Amino acid sequence: MKLSISRKWTPYLYMLLLCTCALLRAQDAGEEADHAGHIPIIAGGVGYIQNVNGGVTTLMPQVSPVLVAPFGRHFLLESRTDFTGFFQREDLTSGPFKGKVFTNVEYSQLDWLADTHVMPVGGRYLLPFGLYNERLGPIWIKNLQDSPFTASIGTRTSGAGDGLLLRGVAVQTPAMSTQYSAYYSFHCGVDQLQSARTAGGDVSLFFSKPRFEIGTSYQRFLEARHINNSAVYISWQPLEASLDVKSEYDYSYFGSGYWVESAYRLDRLSLPSLIQKVQFVGRMQQVFPQNGGGNGLPRVRTERFDVGLNYYLRDNLRIISSYARSFSSQRNANVWNFGFTYRFTIPLWFGAKR
Amino acid sequence: MKFLPVTACLLLVPLSLSAGQSQKTAEATQQTVQPKAPSGSAETGDQVFAANCSRCHAAPMSLSPRITGTVIMHMRVRARLSKRDEQLLLKYLAP
Repeated sequence: MKLSISRKWTPYLYMLLLCTCALLRAQDAGEEADHAGHIPIIAGGVGYIQNVNGGVTTLMPQVSPVLVAPFGRHFLLESRTDFTGFFQREDLTSGPFKGKVFTNVEYSQLDWLADTHVMPVGGRYLLPFGLYNERLGPIWIKNLQDSPFTASIGTRTSGAGDGLLLRGVAVQTPAMSTQYSAYYSFHCGVDQLQSARTAGGDVSLFFSKPRFEIGTSYQRFLEARHINNSAVYISWQPLEASLDVKSEYDYSYFGSGYWVESAYRLDRLSLPSLIQKVQFVGRMQQVFPQNGGGNGLPRVRTERFDVGLNYYLRDNLRIISSYARSFSSQRNANVWNFGFTYRFTIPLWFGAKR
Repeated sequence: MKFLPVTACLLLVPLSLSAGQSQKTAEATQQTVQPKAPSGSAETGDQVFAANCSRCHAAPMSLSPRITGTVIMHMRVRARLSKRDEQLLLKYLAP
């Protein structure tokens, strides 16, 4: 039965494929008004973080290469694998450092840049929930290396989904644009490809003049216990200053919480160039567990305050440092981070300038 | 509630710092980027570049034309940019 159906539809599928190829070729021909090269690259971040949490030191070297390979101007293959080492002293506070390197395929997806309004993505993709998982995850992007407590909401079980993702711009005017993502992920237990059965989406409004964005995410977690996860977030980067303000509120069956983060670079102040490379960061967060918490959230109500000082040696190389104090009924702790991050881009092909 | 003052400080301190900045520095920053842009689309391409990159990370100081197309394709998917924004960025970064 299945065979007869596939035979019946085969000519139509061939015709659809040919029409699509012809359309894309025609579009490509009309878009070569620039001299941008479309060659495969490996980009990503390298870093080393020394973390001290409540007196326990953890050494975390990390490299996250991203392979980005375009096929024409409408198809893009991209894949990121994260290699992070965790090394701690044998007895936590004394003895030699021991540990291992963990490998994680964060995403591996094929993008079809079909249209402004619809860009289908298939494969393993990062779950578009809130601000953190998809946008601020890379080591060279985030201003503070420790993720907020609520980053686990909407990103279980691995931060990625296996299935189909649709995204694009719903409406765009000179003053604002409305962007969306919608996805369905099936359950997968294969090593390096683990994902949960989930469905959800994200909508954000970006106002271009004040550079202000407000968005919301929703996810229905469809494993053994069906639960709803939701988030509301804002992001603001005024034109007049090197200021970055972000905030998010997340809600889940296991708890809720919020964080407010602000980063300020001195690069536009009339100061000596050495001081202009400094960035101050602050973040405050609270999390309120319910139904026992866990699943990535603390099990008791916790507050945490972070301050950071980053120094940009170049636009892609920086020294990072931060101090945090966390408060809970179980314990209060000091958390220190110190290290560096570097963003790299390596072309995998010579020439190819169109 | 006890953290409300801390949260307010997080927002107000950078705001007060930014308020003191002169317009001159902002104009100077724009001028350093503009020479790379073609005539006609300079303002729009510059604005799209500055606004969309800074939503998540510091905008790169330079980008080789050899890889610009690939990077912009990646960012179009990641940042959900429109086709118009992609074309403006390509003309701005690799005219």
